[in-house]
Amino acid sequence: MIRTPLRPLARILSARDRGENPDAIERENLRLRHEAMRDKSRQRAEGRLLVMGLLFFSAFTVVGARMGLLAATDPVEPRAAASGASILAQRADIVDREGRILATNLVTHSLYAQPQSMVEPERAAVELAAIFPDLDAEDLKEDFTGSRKFLWIKKKISPEQMQAVHDIGDPGLLFGPREMRIYPNGALAAHVLGGASFGREGVHSAEVIGTAGVEKTFDGWLRDPGNGGQPLQLSIDLGIQATVEEVLYGGMKLMNAKGATAILMDIHSGEVVAMASLPDFDPNTRPQPALKGDPSDSPLFNRAVQGVYELGSTFKIFAIAQAMDLDLVNPETHIATKSPMIWGKHRIRDFKDYGAELSVTDIIVKSSNIGTARVALMLGAERQKAFLGTLGLLEPTAIEMVEAPTGKPILPRNWPEITTMTVSYGHGLSASPLHLAAAYASVLNGGTKVTPTILKSPMPAPGPRVVSEETSSILRSMLRAVVTRGTASFGEVPGYAVGGKTGSADKPNPQGGYYKDRLIATFASVFPSHDPKYVMIITLDEPSENSGSEPRRTAGWTAVPVGAEIIRRVAPMLGLRPEVEPPAQHGITLVRN
Amino acid sequence: MSYLEYNVKTVPTGIRKVLYVNWPLVLLLTAVASAGFVMLYSVAGGNLDRWAEPQMKRFGVGLALMFIVGFVPIWFWRNMAALAYLISLVLLLVVEFFGHVGMGAQRWINLGFMMLQPSELMKISIVMLLAAYYDWLDVKKVSRPLWVLMPAVLILLPVGLVLTQPDLGTAIQVSLGGAIVMFAAGVSWIYFGVVIAAGVGLVAVVLSSRGTPWQLLHDYQFRRIDTFLDPSADPLGAGYHISQAKIALGSGGWGGKGFMQGTQSRLNFLPEKHTDFIFTTLAEEFGFVGAFSLLLLYVLIVGFCLISAINNKDRFAALLTIGIAGTFFLFFSVNMLMVMGLAPVVGVPLPLVSYGGSAMMVLLVAFGLVQSAHIHRPR
Repeated sequence: MIRTPLRPLARILSARDRGENPDAIERENLRLRHEAMRDKSRQRAEGRLLVMGLLFFSAFTVVGARMGLLAATDPVEPRAAASGASILAQRADIVDREGRILATNLVTHSLYAQPQSMVEPERAAVELAAIFPDLDAEDLKEDFTGSRKFLWIKKKISPEQMQAVHDIGDPGLLFGPREMRIYPNGALAAHVLGGASFGREGVHSAEVIGTAGVEKTFDGWLRDPGNGGQPLQLSIDLGIQATVEEVLYGGMKLMNAKGATAILMDIHSGEVVAMASLPDFDPNTRPQPALKGDPSDSPLFNRAVQGVYELGSTFKIFAIAQAMDLDLVNPETHIATKSPMIWGKHRIRDFKDYGAELSVTDIIVKSSNIGTARVALMLGAERQKAFLGTLGLLEPTAIEMVEAPTGKPILPRNWPEITTMTVSYGHGLSASPLHLAAAYASVLNGGTKVTPTILKSPMPAPGPRVVSEETSSILRSMLRAVVTRGTASFGEVPGYAVGGKTGSADKPNPQGGYYKDRLIATFASVFPSHDPKYVMIITLDEPSENSGSEPRRTAGWTAVPVGAEIIRRVAPMLGLRPEVEPPAQHGITLVRN
Repeated sequence: MSYLEYNVKTVPTGIRKVLYVNWPLVLLLTAVASAGFVMLYSVAGGNLDRWAEPQMKRFGVGLALMFIVGFVPIWFWRNMAALAYLISLVLLLVVEFFGHVGMGAQRWINLGFMMLQPSELMKISIVMLLAAYYDWLDVKKVSRPLWVLMPAVLILLPVGLVLTQPDLGTAIQVSLGGAIVMFAAGVSWIYFGVVIAAGVGLVAVVLSSRGTPWQLLHDYQFRRIDTFLDPSADPLGAGYHISQAKIALGSGGWGGKGFMQGTQSRLNFLPEKHTDFIFTTLAEEFGFVGAFSLLLLYVLIVGFCLISAINNKDRFAALLTIGIAGTFFLFFSVNMLMVMGLAPVVGVPLPLVSYGGSAMMVLLVAFGLVQSAHIHRPR
């Protein structure tokens, strides 16, 4: 502002000349100057006010726009909560062939603590220890009063326990929902199902992952939400499985065996209808694998799939089947069975001396090692190996269980003639009971290869032919004769025409050689033999039937009665009618006639 | 000496003052408070006794208080400014040492008949004091460093006390309220630039102090910052308020679910549904239309205050009105931004709507000051 002097003398004088009052002019000037100053500061203030108004207005706009934006959105639950819900109920059920539940899920709660927000850690620790006897009050106190911010107390608790913890009323004790796997039938089909445990665990949910059996094999499938909650259907039949396990358990106790296994398989489709391995466990509380002791004696060990044993005389029918199929022998061909048979430095003996000769049928009926060995010599190592390979006895089984690859047959390192002979009567080659079941099904169902499966499957197309239909039929007649007048005479079940073959193999001693008093007793059976529907393998580990003057351990005394009892009980459940056996066909004249 | 005192003759006196009251402002305040009554009735599940009735009574008392304060000449209040500031400061000190601890913070003084929050008083007295200060100060000296330092100290003293309570929301309101008055009084832009830069630096330091031994904020305050930055990270924990509030706002849509039909608040998904988060109930039941109408009412209140300030040639009266309008603006904008997830949760109530005594009383007294400035303006 240009300062105008208030009283320039000249102005006063000129004003006086005009007759005006200089004081009035001065007052007017003062007023104008004050107003100019005030206006200037007001102008600035108004500028500031404008800026502020703009700021306010933009804030309003932001708030209003946000309001509109939120109003326009669809309300959605927060994402993290939603993902927790999707982990819940993710694992599909497992059902048996009739749709009955074998494994399902149960919503429970986990219990965890945030010690930082606890009000009375000491009291809470004492009361928690009272609710869960396995917890220690002193340890909890230490945890709760320490610097930890989070700790798990229980992975799953029951509703009663949850209420009790609620009643403690401490805000630092919190619950998280979680789903757990439950096997409503307890130990039933334990080895087939395997078990499940928690994987990654969060407060709001936990992952359930399979640890063994089909739970592990099909873990990805069971957790795949793309299946739309469709259950996994197994070939197992719950009722038959229960009967098989019950009888097998009784048989195992009766025969003083330390372990037992049973496999019941559809002879045409290879579906496993029942599979049991004893001792067993409850998959709801699957035990930890034992760190010491023989793992093959652990309850977790699936003898049917993982246990590879020398299965003894049950193997004899493979050599006979191949020889008949190649027309090297027929059921009436007589084979020299003079005992002992001396081959190089080896001696082969029979259970007892069967005289100079036996027909091929009687070799099976009486279970002659020497006769089978001579038939095997006709085949030679190469053809024998090829045939056993065709039957799947040289590879792990293809069953859909994680344990299957561990059930790898133990093969002889080289295959000289003596090996050809011992393998023909089931020594020197170890395979699992499931191998045996599949091989028996293949040669007895009419001669087409069977692949074992644990899944319910529509009738598959018959596999490649392994023996002729006629050979298969003759074999069944032979097995029937084993039951009617041979080593498996306890296997007779009226109305079901059971055929079968016994096998009693001395157990190898880890120190070398074989035990004299420990054996694996196997009964491989087919029923009804004139119209084959099922094969069943029973294996007892170190059985000893003590009712006589000295212990009887061979399969005919141990495995066979157990197998017969199972067939007696399950055959009606399988929908088989008791039938009168038709007369023998194929013009086989039994030697005794 | 205020310009006003030369013009006393033109100022209305006695019962005539009633004619000069800023009636639109009174109507707007009543409208906002009524919206509050309706919402309190609704969140109590159709129960009048629980929150709505006490709130109505308090509003009645507050309105009477507003008129009494409004009829007292503005120059009296200017002379009282320093005293009000001193009393508030002393009360803050008292609360610091003898205060009632509640909800993890030490904020209240028990007066027997009501719980008083001195920090609420401070929000108004700081504005009064600064307005009086700039009325007294020669306009030419406004931007000189020494004369800028003085009000800065006057602001920071109570802010420091409030921060130790701790109450971040009020600290922000007090400092920004003071800053608004300083800005309106014409303090140079440079100072504000420096303070903003320093503030950004401070935020950086505070954030980097996390987890170190010299941590400057409570863990819960850091968690609120985290929650603000990503509420969906912990929707059931620290982000719960905001996630649920957003659901409420979203489910209200444009037209709302209808009066008493809000599920988010009715089913107790929302904590603090009758205090800090009452806006969500309104948004859910009356939708965007209802929420935006309330915002408009607030905008109009601030607008009428600013117009009154512009037309007021008295410096103290104008600055006071602007400061109070600014403080009011901070109240509802921080609350709304917080509820809608645009600001961290700092615990600021929705003015005149949220249930609570202290804040409403103080606000109505403040609007009494605005009325006094309006009635006694030079003409």
